[in-house]
Amino acid sequence: MPTLSAYEKAGIPSVFIIYGDQDGCWREACRLNGIPGMRCVHASRTTPGVPDVDRMVPQMIDALMRPLTAEETKGGRYEPKNERIFFTGTLEDAEKVYHVTERVPTCQNAPIAVYGDGLPLRIPTEERVAEMLKGTSHKPDEIIRFQRDHRLGDRSVQEGNSGKQGDPVHYLPLRRTATVEKIAVIGVMAGCEPRHMPALLAMAESGGGCGDGRGRGGYCISGPYAREIEMNFDVEMFGPGNPANRSLGRASQLMWKNLGGNIPTVTNCDVFGGGLTNVFPENAEALPKGWAGLNEECGFDKKESLLVQVSGPGGGGRVSFSPGGYRAFQKSGHGGLARALGVKGQPGPHNILEYMMPGLWARSEGGITLFLLPEIAQQLADAGFESKDQIYEYVYKKSFMPLSEYRMHSWPDMRTNAWLGIERTSGKHWKELPDDYMVPACNDPFENCVIVTGGGEEQIMMGGGRTGGYDAAYSIDYWR
Amino acid sequence: MAAAKSKVYKCLNPVGIEEPVDSHPLAPRLGKLDGKTIYISIGAGGEQDITIPLPQALQRAYPQVNWKVTRAAPHMTIAGSVALSPEEMKDADALIRGVVW
Repeated sequence: MPTLSAYEKAGIPSVFIIYGDQDGCWREACRLNGIPGMRCVHASRTTPGVPDVDRMVPQMIDALMRPLTAEETKGGRYEPKNERIFFTGTLEDAEKVYHVTERVPTCQNAPIAVYGDGLPLRIPTEERVAEMLKGTSHKPDEIIRFQRDHRLGDRSVQEGNSGKQGDPVHYLPLRRTATVEKIAVIGVMAGCEPRHMPALLAMAESGGGCGDGRGRGGYCISGPYAREIEMNFDVEMFGPGNPANRSLGRASQLMWKNLGGNIPTVTNCDVFGGGLTNVFPENAEALPKGWAGLNEECGFDKKESLLVQVSGPGGGGRVSFSPGGYRAFQKSGHGGLARALGVKGQPGPHNILEYMMPGLWARSEGGITLFLLPEIAQQLADAGFESKDQIYEYVYKKSFMPLSEYRMHSWPDMRTNAWLGIERTSGKHWKELPDDYMVPACNDPFENCVIVTGGGEEQIMMGGGRTGGYDAAYSIDYWR
Repeated sequence: MAAAKSKVYKCLNPVGIEEPVDSHPLAPRLGKLDGKTIYISIGAGGEQDITIPLPQALQRAYPQVNWKVTRAAPHMTIAGSVALSPEEMKDADALIRGVVW
């Protein structure tokens, strides 16, 4: 949008094709970019292209020729108030104010919390916030800034976020900024404790769970800090019960709401949304010999504590094998897993990834994140994976498929820009390659990620991978 | 108990800090189409169902316009959000861009 608004500002009349249900998000984006009334036409989500185009063409020409209204010729300046004190009164009255909802007409008139997540909030009185601020040495009025250069991905940059050291962090979709005190306020509301402040501030530096405006809920804590705040490392770490795991996860959603300005259908054009995702710890003590922790993978020392953005934890994605079947497979080569891999009757260690890989990219692309229980990680190490890097390389190699098959996927039409670009591994134009040319569904070995964590019966959980070259690690120690 | 319930607190604002925004008017519209150069910028990731017939339909309906079709760089990149290069902006009388999302 910053780019698109530049054309109108340069005197070039423009019209844009969007979908009608995105109108609210469009208008908010236009307002933020200083051209409140940019003209658009609405494409249909269901009418076939030719008749839909025939319907839109006269509207486009009209948008380019229709004289401007008085409203459209107006300039001006939007001056927000940004008051520090939000409410003065009793706690009972404050609860009514902080829990207010608004009905969103484009969301079937559903009431949506204005400041919260729909659950009761702890009211951020000045006293409670002052107590929360004891959890950091940083001053309350300090603006949250990147404390080192970060590559956040073009998507964030193009929407107004920036990753350079010293730049203020902008929260999407509405590109607001925040102070240390704001983060303490949100921490109080989420039920966090003062000792959670360094993690909350690292989370704020990471974009506060806002992602590109559609939310990004997954965070892992790597390093000794996770033990300091007594996180749950074991069974049900994504479930209810542990104050640190849960309240930090909730805080990321409240940052998205209050800092990002998330309102479904109005500022955020997501689809299903996601549930509350706990922040969870990496169990570095359980890493097999030779395997690096996430902090070391991100270029930090293993004694340093980091908050790392992780794609897709906490939901489904569990691999379908029974815990007992897995045990029998590793102990003595019994059961379906052993039959599948041709190791019937042979005791482990066996490589369970060999069972998981077939069909993994049947209709998808990209890397994966493997959430490995300590026992399973050790068995993979015993089966020959001396480092995580060897797993990343193994998964990457398994993702290759013939171009004829890759062409049958949906996303590559878009990601290759309708097959107009260059295929990376060959350096050739997509359209010059033969059908049997093998292409990787995962762009880079380091799109894959392994996190050793959790406990309980033998299961593996999978999430989406990381973007190659994407720097998603934020120092917690800096914010102590 | 009653005193505690009636105690007055100052409660702090969780909403992020908004920056002032200068608003600009829209660009003047076209008075006529004849001889004008209008760019059709095909956004990467846009629906091919729309973006393939769109330039054809515009050229058919308005042959007096000098239509120029450009294709954006891949989706979800900064380059992909660029509809007109600085050179193209010099001769563009108008712009149609789609699909934006």
